[in-house]
Amino acid sequence: MESTDEMQLEKAKSVVPLNTWILISNLKLAYNITRRPDGSFNRHLAEFLDRKVGANISPVDGVSTMDVNIDRVTGVWARIFIPVNFQSEESREDKIPVFVYFHGGSFVHSSANSAIYDAVCRSFAKLCRAMVISVNFRRSPEYRYPVAYEDGFTVLKWIQLQALTALGNAWLPSNADLSHCFLVGDSSGANIVHHLGVMASTADLYPVCICGHILLMPMFGGMKRTPVEIRLDGQYFVTIKDRDYYWQSFLPEGADRDHPACNIFGPYSEDLTTVPLAPSLVLIASLDLLQDWQKEYVQGMRDSGKKVELVVLEHATVGFFLFPNTEHFHRVIDAISSFVKRSI
Amino acid sequence: MDQMLDVLCSHDKHHKDGDGHSVAAVDHGSIASRPAKNQLHEAGSNGAPSSTLGKEMTAVNVGVDELLANAGYKVRASELQQVAQRLEHLETVLGAAQEAALSHLSTEAVHYNPSDLASWIECMLEELAPNFPVDSLPHLHSFDQSAQVSGCLMDDPQACGRQNQQSHQEDDAHSNIVDYSEEFILDYEETQYGSGFNDHNLNGIFGNICSLEQLGRKREAGMKQGFELNAQGMHQREQKRGKHSITQPCAYSGSSQEAYSQTSDNPVVFSSVYGSNQASLRPMGSCIHQPTLLQDGSDGAQESGVRLVHLLLACAESVQRDDLIAAEELVRDIRVLAAPQKGPMRRVATEFVEALARRIYSFNSQDTIGNQRDSLSELLHFHFYETCPYLKFAHFTANQAILEAFENQKQVHVIDFNLMHGLQWPALIQALALRPEGPPFLRITGIGPPQPGGNDVLQEIGVKLAQLAKSVNVEFDFRGVIAAKLDDVKPWMLQVSQGEAVAVNSIMQLHRLLYSENSATPPPIVEVLQSVKSLNPRIVTIVEHEAIHNSPIFLERFTEALHYYSTMFDSLEACNLPAQSLELMLAETYLGREICNIVACEGAERVERHEPLAQWQMRMCNSGFQPLHLGSNAFKQARMLLTLFSGEGYAVEETGGCLTLGWQSRPLLAASAWRC
Repeated sequence: MESTDEMQLEKAKSVVPLNTWILISNLKLAYNITRRPDGSFNRHLAEFLDRKVGANISPVDGVSTMDVNIDRVTGVWARIFIPVNFQSEESREDKIPVFVYFHGGSFVHSSANSAIYDAVCRSFAKLCRAMVISVNFRRSPEYRYPVAYEDGFTVLKWIQLQALTALGNAWLPSNADLSHCFLVGDSSGANIVHHLGVMASTADLYPVCICGHILLMPMFGGMKRTPVEIRLDGQYFVTIKDRDYYWQSFLPEGADRDHPACNIFGPYSEDLTTVPLAPSLVLIASLDLLQDWQKEYVQGMRDSGKKVELVVLEHATVGFFLFPNTEHFHRVIDAISSFVKRSI
Repeated sequence: MDQMLDVLCSHDKHHKDGDGHSVAAVDHGSIASRPAKNQLHEAGSNGAPSSTLGKEMTAVNVGVDELLANAGYKVRASELQQVAQRLEHLETVLGAAQEAALSHLSTEAVHYNPSDLASWIECMLEELAPNFPVDSLPHLHSFDQSAQVSGCLMDDPQACGRQNQQSHQEDDAHSNIVDYSEEFILDYEETQYGSGFNDHNLNGIFGNICSLEQLGRKREAGMKQGFELNAQGMHQREQKRGKHSITQPCAYSGSSQEAYSQTSDNPVVFSSVYGSNQASLRPMGSCIHQPTLLQDGSDGAQESGVRLVHLLLACAESVQRDDLIAAEELVRDIRVLAAPQKGPMRRVATEFVEALARRIYSFNSQDTIGNQRDSLSELLHFHFYETCPYLKFAHFTANQAILEAFENQKQVHVIDFNLMHGLQWPALIQALALRPEGPPFLRITGIGPPQPGGNDVLQEIGVKLAQLAKSVNVEFDFRGVIAAKLDDVKPWMLQVSQGEAVAVNSIMQLHRLLYSENSATPPPIVEVLQSVKSLNPRIVTIVEHEAIHNSPIFLERFTEALHYYSTMFDSLEACNLPAQSLELMLAETYLGREICNIVACEGAERVERHEPLAQWQMRMCNSGFQPLHLGSNAFKQARMLLTLFSGEGYAVEETGGCLTLGWQSRPLLAASAWRC
């Protein structure tokens, strides 16, 4: 008689390709052994296990990358992905939008040069034909809320600087359209997207203009346990316990999960009706245990008068988009591309 | 600016094609505006194949799952099912054992080479469920460099972690280290190295040197603190080796041999496919690494910085084309622009423009920099060591590996390819003194160049080391071997005794051996590696610059070096040195000599022929060495070292069983270990 553990493993294996399953299970394992029961985090082991990859200005598979310092003092840097145009028919002056990308990892794991996120950003750059700026923001538990949001804002100001001065001319592709910027992120990165979007809405960023938010499986939460959370706990790579751990390490000491960084439309929510936010595209995986929170977010945004497009990917688990080997992946690319086109 | 690099890369390709098209003012336009005929996806212009070809080779010859490879994991496509099963099993075991198991894996176990998923999982299963019949699971391929590269039959050295029986340090244990010991001061009164040197204490070695009395006390207390070099790991790994040995014939023997011979003119290609997880995504060629050259700060500073780089590359390009008039003009422009600048960019620009000037004016070859091994260069080396963490990292990482290799050996012999001030050895001597089984009889053979004036500097260093060894009760012997070149050192000169365990240590020496006059004469590295092999060492520790500074094409070399040293200079900023300070200046001068050699010299004089880890790995494998993986314990201690000695921004990374130290996202130094 199979144990429940094994049954769960079988279930997850049946909905994702085998290599994806191996990747996500391996990540899950690596994350498990770095989270200590006392709430502390084994950063050394986490960095040891993370697979990193360098930038490469020589285009690889149609995308060229380079790393830039954003802020010397804080050490924030970013990796820039530039799709190389080698189809002669395409007009070379066609403007391409800019994605400012925030990688996932529950605020704790991964970096802009993590191999998995380098691959994801390359896909976005190539398939969505965008210049992607993947931010290496500071992570918890070393740097808690609101540092990640602030680092994101610093990047926006940096992009503004490149545009306003002649600096950008030296390295920015002339077809990169800074007036069409999108904030893009997955998981905790998508959480950053929302909050950064709010910060940016009242800031002077001209000529940088944020045309849209793209949130892939955004990480939100709250004190209550939603039915989906309970039902899917531990079923598809993610547990309530690990979500709690990461909130604990990100939110200010003493705060609980109803803190507005986590629970956007909870008891301490900010009124967003007068905040001019760009339209959002929210992509939800139907096997993600956070989907109730994600749907609450969508509803809350709509109730605040914001345009939100929602795409639910049936039978998709967290992390499905890390490999371009499912229908879901291509649906995501299509959804993003079409959203971008319409938002410009 | 990097924009321009792309342009220059492609122009370089034109150059090779005999296209007389010149690059005058570099087009600041977009990448997209370049002529469509530039097949930019043919990465690199030195014949390295495009990434597509690389992927073909991967798929056909190695059979790894490509998507997992892109994510940094090597798993054979045919073994996905089995790897998944093992993962599942591990998960079940972890589920059953709960916190104790997790805690063990997190805190005590030493992990190796996480890219080799199958091995990593298997090791963890071993740790947690030692009675689990591993043999019942099908043997999985393990990704050892040598197996891939040369198609040789070999045992698979499963580099498994073993429970570290000592109490484990906490992540914030640096407070323990600071409290640790009174520093032992080596006095260099009689040095010839000039004033100022006399006052330098060699106590910068992690504060890990203590007097005998304290040593005794600590031993009694049975404590191990601070930066202990962990003596576990390797021995047990060897014991396990027999158990896990997978003696299946290398699966790609035919095709890989073929592939290798096809690319033997450009072995770089091969390594880029099979090498470390990093290398697999980087086609070897020009402009591989990315600088973090764009700096924030005032608009003016950043803008001039960008302009300086632009001019430097344009100048190098003129030199490449032999247009020395244009080059000279650019040198003048650069000097003018650089002078009022502040920050690392100015200093980098200065070093590079002076190197360019030397090349253009063809300074007398006797004047060439970088080849000298005189007192000035030793002084600079010392300051560089003190100033920033690179050499400390090199020494520390090598010592850790050597200590592990020497476990349970009663007679050990370390051969240092470049003794210098012997800075690496006090820490090892002390660590050996602290061994639970007691210290071995330690011999150190230090190799060094002849000194002008005929002083036997090696002997002087040896005496100091002997004094230290005596004070900690380590039986010790020192020999100096004076040689102008490493290939002058013959194995018999090293007087290796029967029964002693030998460690060969090379910190940034091997790249000097890569020049050969013609294709008929092999470069000295071949002979030296054979000599090393003949010593039958238990371990060979190698640290080299992680850079491609050996391209025969000047412009490529220049561009790579510009990126590399810009990053290096950038990193010096984090060493908490006051600007304009002597230390900073000396560190920069040290680097400046390397730059000058790379840029201004050719032929036998150009000794700074840095090659990246993937290439060294291939060379070592092809010479019959097998890798010894550096694990999470060495990784962790390196990181802790960095927090003690430097500011933020330094990054230690693990790649294919080796460790690199770099600045932010760019590795600059790579450390690896080998055995025969």
